[in-house]
Amino acid sequence: MAVQQHKFFRLLEELEEGQKGGGDGTVSWGLADDDDMMLTHWNGMIIGPAKTVYEGRIYSLKVDCGHRYPEYPPMVRFVNKINLTGVNSSTGAVDLKSVSALSRWKNSYNIKMVLQELRQHMMMKENSRLSQPPEGQVYSN
Amino acid sequence: MAEQGAADLGNNNNNKPEASEGTIIKVTVKTPKDKEEIAIAEDASVTQFKEEISKRFKAKQDQLVLIFAGKILKDGDSLSQHGIKDGLTVHLVIKTAHNTSASSSTSNQGGNSTTSSPAANPITSLSHRLSPAGGFGDLASLAGLGMGSANFMELQQQMQRQLMSNPEMLSQIMENPLVQNMMSNPDLMRQMIMANPQMQQLMERNPEISHMLNNPELMRQTMELARNPAMMQEMMRNQDRALSNLESIPGGYNALRRMYTDIQEPMFSAAREQFGNNPFSALGGNSDSGAQPSRTENREPLPNPWGPPNSSNPSESGGGTTGSTSTSGATNPSVSNPLGVNPGSMFNSPGMQSLLQQISENPQLMQNMLSAPYMRSMMQSLAQNPELASQVMMNNPLFAGNPQLQEQFRSQLPIFLQQMQNPEALSVMANPRAMQALMQIQQGLQTLQTEAPGLMPSLMTSGIPGVPTGGAVPAENPASSPRNGTVRDHTHILKLPPYQTPEVRFQTQLDQLNAMGFINREANLQALIATGGDINAAIERLLGSQPS
Repeated sequence: MAVQQHKFFRLLEELEEGQKGGGDGTVSWGLADDDDMMLTHWNGMIIGPAKTVYEGRIYSLKVDCGHRYPEYPPMVRFVNKINLTGVNSSTGAVDLKSVSALSRWKNSYNIKMVLQELRQHMMMKENSRLSQPPEGQVYSN
Repeated sequence: MAEQGAADLGNNNNNKPEASEGTIIKVTVKTPKDKEEIAIAEDASVTQFKEEISKRFKAKQDQLVLIFAGKILKDGDSLSQHGIKDGLTVHLVIKTAHNTSASSSTSNQGGNSTTSSPAANPITSLSHRLSPAGGFGDLASLAGLGMGSANFMELQQQMQRQLMSNPEMLSQIMENPLVQNMMSNPDLMRQMIMANPQMQQLMERNPEISHMLNNPELMRQTMELARNPAMMQEMMRNQDRALSNLESIPGGYNALRRMYTDIQEPMFSAAREQFGNNPFSALGGNSDSGAQPSRTENREPLPNPWGPPNSSNPSESGGGTTGSTSTSGATNPSVSNPLGVNPGSMFNSPGMQSLLQQISENPQLMQNMLSAPYMRSMMQSLAQNPELASQVMMNNPLFAGNPQLQEQFRSQLPIFLQQMQNPEALSVMANPRAMQALMQIQQGLQTLQTEAPGLMPSLMTSGIPGVPTGGAVPAENPASSPRNGTVRDHTHILKLPPYQTPEVRFQTQLDQLNAMGFINREANLQALIATGGDINAAIERLLGSQPS
């Protein structure tokens, strides 16, 4: 029970930070549904980094912090279509292991970090020039 | 509440919200670069919020994208719907396609036709109608353009004219999504360039250019350059500086000129026809810039292109003509040295040497060379790096084949180099008549040497490394030369890089003269120098000039 509370407060902190605009303005996150008492379903947003093909785009993500978060990483999925290594091209699901900074998940990691590292991932040489689908398309699930 | 509303309505202050029902909350609006606190009514709509933001950040409303807690705020929503309360932060992205960081206070380009110049309009409309891949091929849609000109070439020319006269417009155009799309596609750019027949000719004549064009890295850099005017300026500055360096080398100017006429001019005219701007001015002079220029302006002092480290392998120069582009030397071009000029190898190249000979024939050239401000720093670096200087000197044709001479010269280098920096010495060099006199003396010395080799062994070594070494200044430790100004000039000339001061050389003779009763040391020295160490002749001279 105490563990649950701990997780809850932890998520609450993340919620608060998201609302206060934590990070440097290039990522944003928050509860997807205000009535979500379990604080599991989150929205994430990544602003495409400059000097990459992602520049100028705003990527929406869904982050699901299951009941095993933060011991286990959340499930992350892109909403907007993106061509990025580690992202399933038909569902948008992100394989966190392909993002080097997240491949070994620690419970000190949080949603902000997931988003920021994904953004960094976009800037890597192997990704920064991948041709992208036109803006506005979303994964259909 | 109503009073507050009335008061607010009457107030033009941007800080007050317009719709003033309900409490005012302060919401921080944050962009990657900037942060502003905006007061807005609690129950305002996102649209109203955007109005405020648009004023504060000086951006158009439809360019604003607001994000809160991972969600994009749609215009129809209300702030409360998203849970935006007092003290919370909303992220702002100003969409100027490809400009991800919302530049709030910096001027907002975005290719919107805010300027009155008609040429801007076609671009904007183009962006709506043409797909980037189509490039300028899709003339049909041009019919809808405001310019009313069906002829695309005309359009282009007008555009160019506008561009030339209005640099700000250039940056606007650069910001335009179509242009940027185009420019970010190196393949497309290359195709466009190649399509121009002039360019094709040019490419045939100069394979370097096609190599350059085919280098995607370079293209990309150039395009980024073109996009970023500050960077562009920086590059141009670097280039100008390097060019002026080159210019200051005798013969470098010729090479430069050749380069320009062969490459740059046709390229310019070709490029101008196509693009009306100058991303290719950088290309023209910049064959193979291997280094990655940084995006921001480089505020560090430019490295000294004449700096010593480049001279490590002059023998490898293989670098044919001076000032030639990427084919010269083994140096990797850097941002400040875009032509990859290796100063060490330049001196060693045959071209340089022939030029050195030319200099000796043309004092004017010498003067030009000296007056180039860069000469001074080159001298300094030469002085600091004796190795470089020695290499430079060693390969001088006059020295070639005379290792003894080289040795002597080498040992004299430090003094010699110091002398080079002596402004008086430099002014002598700058004086064409003095130079001519120097030449004559040198020739005389040489004749003398052949006629009477035994007579002046020391003079031979000191006399020959003369002017053509690009600065064989009357180098002499001033302390040892006579104080007399005019005489000093002559003695300086005669003492061209000596390996021993005359005093030392003529020490024995001086002593002898002293013993004989000639106590005027200075006069003795003069005489000895004039006669080259011949005591008898010196005595006669002294007797001739001295009343006693």
